Amino acid sequence: MSRTITIDPITRLEGHGKIDIFLDDKGEVEKAYFQVPELRGFEQFAVGRPAEDMPQITSRICGVCPTAHHMAATKAVDDLYKVDPPVAAKKIRELVYSIFFVEDHALHFYFLGGPDFVVGPTAPKGERNILGVLGKVGLEVGKEVIGLRKQMRELITLAGGKVIHPVFGLPGGVAKRLTAEDQGKFIAAGDHAVQFAQFSLQVFRDIVLKNPKYVEAIVSDAYTHKTYYMGLVDGSNRVNFYDGQIRVVTPEGKEYLKFKPQDYLAHVAEHVEPWSYIKFCYLKDVGWKGFEEGADSGVYCVAPLARLNAADGMATPLAQKAYDELYSTLGGKPVHHTLANHWARLVELLYAAERMKELANDPDIISPDVRTLPTQTPTEGVGVVEAPRGTLFHHYQTDARGVITKANLIVATQNNAARIAMSVDKAARGVIKQGKVDDGILNLVEMAFRAYDPCHGCATHALPGQMPLAVRVYNRNHELLEEIRRDG
Amino acid sequence: MPRTLVLGLGNELLSDDAVGILAVRRLREELDDQTDVIESSLSGVALMELFVGYERAIIVDAVQTGEFPPGSIREFAPADLDRVLAPSPHYAGIPEILALARQLELDFPREIRILAIEVGDATTIGGALSPAVATALPELIGQVKSQVARWQGEVPHA
Repeated sequence: MSRTITIDPITRLEGHGKIDIFLDDKGEVEKAYFQVPELRGFEQFAVGRPAEDMPQITSRICGVCPTAHHMAATKAVDDLYKVDPPVAAKKIRELVYSIFFVEDHALHFYFLGGPDFVVGPTAPKGERNILGVLGKVGLEVGKEVIGLRKQMRELITLAGGKVIHPVFGLPGGVAKRLTAEDQGKFIAAGDHAVQFAQFSLQVFRDIVLKNPKYVEAIVSDAYTHKTYYMGLVDGSNRVNFYDGQIRVVTPEGKEYLKFKPQDYLAHVAEHVEPWSYIKFCYLKDVGWKGFEEGADSGVYCVAPLARLNAADGMATPLAQKAYDELYSTLGGKPVHHTLANHWARLVELLYAAERMKELANDPDIISPDVRTLPTQTPTEGVGVVEAPRGTLFHHYQTDARGVITKANLIVATQNNAARIAMSVDKAARGVIKQGKVDDGILNLVEMAFRAYDPCHGCATHALPGQMPLAVRVYNRNHELLEEIRRDG
Repeated sequence: MPRTLVLGLGNELLSDDAVGILAVRRLREELDDQTDVIESSLSGVALMELFVGYERAIIVDAVQTGEFPPGSIREFAPADLDRVLAPSPHYAGIPEILALARQLELDFPREIRILAIEVGDATTIGGALSPAVATALPELIGQVKSQVARWQGEVPHA
């Protein structure tokens, strides 16, 4: 008898991820599908609005990474008005963006990914939560995470105007300069962030790398896919979150493409599947060959590990060391193990902290020259940044008054959608045998997509990492046979 | 620092999900300086950080259980949530946030009330409130005011 298993987070709003698993007559997995929601209606919503409102509006799409949307939109309006911001404005933006990465990556490692890796993939589910993480790393570390985040948020508020939804990005610059007094606070916080990042990498070495079982899980075939990787790089092919060219490497790690953000439509296409309302991004130059690995399939991956794979290194010294350590430990570049994203995230945390420190100490940062006034008639603009969860594209077309006539957004999770679907499929095949479905499947399948930290359609309220899940098993006639739930 | 927090949650771009934000926005002018009004789309740990330093807090948010008609307003204490609203990740988050805050010895409100309004369409970007929810909005605002007034030991005005 053929059965359908649905893992549904029963989320209330804002869209959600959902997993459908189809079993064949023998109870083996025929196919598993992971569905992520899309920004339904956003494009229409944007039409008719002034482009300069987009940094404010798009930052409200998502409660998880408003700063990323704000920054991508701000860069898109720079491009729309063909205006190049002054050096100080670019540095202030990148400073704020680096602080945002510190805050977001720290949160993910300890609170979201921590239950899988600090507490451990095989720990009882009662311990696989943030309280379990605190039990393992100590209460003081928990307080330190909260304290660091508080300090970072205060700085984002200082520079960005508002903490949750920054309002400082304008076409051609930023709304506010930094003073010498502000600078002192950023410098002090930069030192703090670097120390914290180094400490976090040590936690990872001590708790994860010294435990053979965890390392085994990271490199296991169930969580490995050989795909293309994409990320922004600077002029020396090093990871950059704020600006640069988009570089794509092959599953063998060779440069395949390098292009300007404005050319993304020539290289990125979207594939539609009847079972999902998400469009699966793929590399146009390679083509869509289904949910397949390898150099012949256009499936690619974004987010921390992909960024590291797509670059030749890190632009700061301590992060470069951490980068080298990751690749020498995991057998060279590229690394295809999805779960290594947790480690890559910490390498990036250290880079973000070091970059923050560099920018905070930069004399340009307190220059009063923070705006170049736009003078061109707008037509079209593209802005791309690396969001914590991967490459984020904003593309607007306007009339001569700067009113949006067309908008296109590709969020990180859409880039990753095909590979996430493959990961879930592989994980499900690995754990479901002869129709046996138990509670353990929830965590093992969840782990497959949690490493990507998928932004559930900018699901502002989902508490990531504690997403309530239900596995529903149906027979061929869609009659409910059994249900397993895990409610937050 | 004011002692009471009125926290409106939701996403103002998403139709009925804006209701918590709209409710507290209208209250901002009416409440005294002993009360802070915050609109937020945050979740999880980031949300937890907003509560620090307040003695009492009231959360106003949309909920979609499908068990009640849109516009129905219900009030909870965090302790009720595990049982009542666990299928919602947002609310399921509150007890966890409280446990975490306790463990971290954060300066957290000793009393938290949650006003949840059942919503209809909460997924269309740019949609307006559905009629049932729009009709219930004044009642929701009234309930928030009453709660704040009770905490301040005042009799609410009729």
